Amino acid sequence: MTKDECYEVGKVVKPHGLKGEIQLLLDVDYPEDYEDMESVFVEIKGELVPYFVEQIKITTNMVIVKFEGIGNVEAALKLKNAKLYLPEDQLPETEEDSYYFHELIGFEVKDHQQGILGKVINVFSFPAQSLLAIAYKGKEVLIPMADQIMKKVDKEKKTIAVELPEGLLEIYTEEEKDTAL
Amino acid sequence: MARSIKKGPYIDFRLENKIEAMNKSGKKSVIKTWARRSTISPDFVGHTFAVHNGNKFIPVYVTENMVGHKLGEFAPTRTFKGHTAKKDKGK
Repeated sequence: MTKDECYEVGKVVKPHGLKGEIQLLLDVDYPEDYEDMESVFVEIKGELVPYFVEQIKITTNMVIVKFEGIGNVEAALKLKNAKLYLPEDQLPETEEDSYYFHELIGFEVKDHQQGILGKVINVFSFPAQSLLAIAYKGKEVLIPMADQIMKKVDKEKKTIAVELPEGLLEIYTEEEKDTAL
Repeated sequence: MARSIKKGPYIDFRLENKIEAMNKSGKKSVIKTWARRSTISPDFVGHTFAVHNGNKFIPVYVTENMVGHKLGEFAPTRTFKGHTAKKDKGK
């Protein structure tokens, strides 16, 4: 299993207690969905190593897991800060109007006035606002992922309908001018 | 030390003027700015700013919950690409 076939689900925080239990940070909206997780891939020196879950306890702010073959704090310490991965096919299905960011890569972006602009090449996730990066006329153009701009995502047709504010494309296409504000 | 309340929030006057003019005309075009230190006022809501991060312009669509923050907070200047894994040194 390679990283390309998996998605990052979180990381190992630190050992918990002395019996090899480990505290995990699951970077997901609903950690309780992972209560029945049987195994997880742990990244060790760039390789994905499968670990089987013996026991998992999920509380409101903490996930404690006991992996098979890890019975003491020394073995647990070796996994500290390691990233956790799960195969993409294990991702929970999204609702019709929601999507995973990685799904959007390759989608065609269509503006209501300018027509097809290009394909999504990356999605940047920032705390306040995420950005779509599209390839437009050989340049990378960033589009804020706000509801007022990103109108509709059609997962079947692999298109994203946007209403770009006036002048957004020109910022990336025109030559640098000193019109400092 | 925090800024004196007497002075009010710092808002770049050129930005403020541009927004005022746009709000009057009902136009909403992207405003290119280097004024990262400017506070976001309620008048900015609904407008899109292209905030310079030292390298390129990052588009920021201003929403209500951004009011009171600085424009620069939404245009990160550094990209974290992770640490390289430690390699075992052979003898």
